[in-house]
Amino acid sequence: MEERIRKIREARALLAAALQGCDLPQIEAMLRNADMELHWALWNLGEPVPLRPEMAPT
Amino acid sequence: MSEAKFWNRHTETLPRARLDALHLQRLQALLHYVYERSAFYRKKLDDARVKPGDIRSLEDFRRKVPLTDKSEFIDQQLANPPYGPTLALPEALVVHHCETSGTTGKPLSIPYSMYDTVRYGESWVYGLWALGIRPTDSFYFAFGWGNFAGFWSAYWAARRLGCRVISGGGLDTKGHINAILRLKPTVLISTPTFALRMAAVAAEMGVDASQSSIRFTYHAGEPGPTALPAMREQIEKAWGAKAGELLGIAEIDAFAPGCPVGDGVHVNEMNVFTWSMDPASGKETAEGEIGENIITSYVNSAQPLLNYRSHDLVRRRSSCACGRTWTKLEGAVLGRTDFMVTVRGTNVYQTAVENLIGEVEEISHSYELVLTREDENDAMTVKFEPVRTVHPQRWDDLARQLSDKIHQALHVRLKCVPVPPDSLPRYELKTKRIIDQRPKEFRRALDR
Repeated sequence: MEERIRKIREARALLAAALQGCDLPQIEAMLRNADMELHWALWNLGEPVPLRPEMAPT
Repeated sequence: MSEAKFWNRHTETLPRARLDALHLQRLQALLHYVYERSAFYRKKLDDARVKPGDIRSLEDFRRKVPLTDKSEFIDQQLANPPYGPTLALPEALVVHHCETSGTTGKPLSIPYSMYDTVRYGESWVYGLWALGIRPTDSFYFAFGWGNFAGFWSAYWAARRLGCRVISGGGLDTKGHINAILRLKPTVLISTPTFALRMAAVAAEMGVDASQSSIRFTYHAGEPGPTALPAMREQIEKAWGAKAGELLGIAEIDAFAPGCPVGDGVHVNEMNVFTWSMDPASGKETAEGEIGENIITSYVNSAQPLLNYRSHDLVRRRSSCACGRTWTKLEGAVLGRTDFMVTVRGTNVYQTAVENLIGEVEEISHSYELVLTREDENDAMTVKFEPVRTVHPQRWDDLARQLSDKIHQALHVRLKCVPVPPDSLPRYELKTKRIIDQRPKEFRRALDR
């Protein structure tokens, strides 16, 4: 499980990098949705993550 | 994947100590969130002289954080519509608006963020999955959509699970039956009483619902197969299907999926923190004792709810044969603290009816609400007394006037029956207004 959690965290870091400077609203929305799902995955694995990813963009 | 017993075995079976540690961490984060973002909660906590950093244990949270009630939110929203200071997000992030039915008098506005809708839908899936519903199933929604959270969240759930969605919005009961025969869905989503009504209408059409494509029925909105075993038996026989139920509250979440064993619901401890309170003393009740369910939600970013009074009376158990470690509410909701009954899917509060009776000048303040069971539905009759100065020839006009008034305000048509002036009993102490004549098996456990 630890390995899966580590990979999800890495995926969120990659998404954050992809979001930086993104000026295409469609792609930005997709990346934010993807990050929301990964936040939700960590939450449902019992990981300590902030409450509101939409208020603290990656 | 489809053979898995649980939607998420990892969290549904987390040890209690781990769940409690998660709750404390999440409650502390939630307190900081609402203190920073909600004027309503900042004032509430300041008035109680509590700062988020003061909460160092679950006991601290239960004891120090003030209770909240639906009426407070409604008052704040009425003063500053649509959401007032209860909103904890910029309004631009509210992507969906729902409302309660307004049966307490005024509807409660419920804002959701995008993430809130995802998490609300997900809450249904735990129960759907445990019942045996899988992504290959197709859902039939037997209701008009409106602004009711229960219906929308069921739709979000079907999307989440990846099932086909078939909307029955706008159809009458025969139309629903014909649509089911034509489109062959496998899951029926409706209120439990409407599932029985549909089966009865199907029979009148010469259709045996138990031979239809429906393999599962799933319900919310009123006491169903978990709270009322007789209801389960009737629905399962009528539809030839497995019947399931969740416990939800529109403004919170579909927070308690049905237990696979079938005799209760489990609190989704990823989404909410709950405890039980003696409504008279305000003290916490122990496992096995009946108390009011007090709920804090982690998944309502837009309008957070902390130590929220549900007015549902429940009995908690810490273990269950199904294997889930999430707190079990045995028999779901056993009763209510506030004289609320559900009629054809609509919550009707005694006080709301009483207020409407008080608005009709030629009716006395003595009345009775008589609950019966008709055509597989709960029915309520309002017995009222015209005042002495009204000629009996005008009593039926008064009955129509009152019935229309109730329908307009509460969105449910109740039969109103005039009785002679001063014929209803008068009480010196505790007034008994609700006369429950339903068979015992169709009443909540505490009302039997």
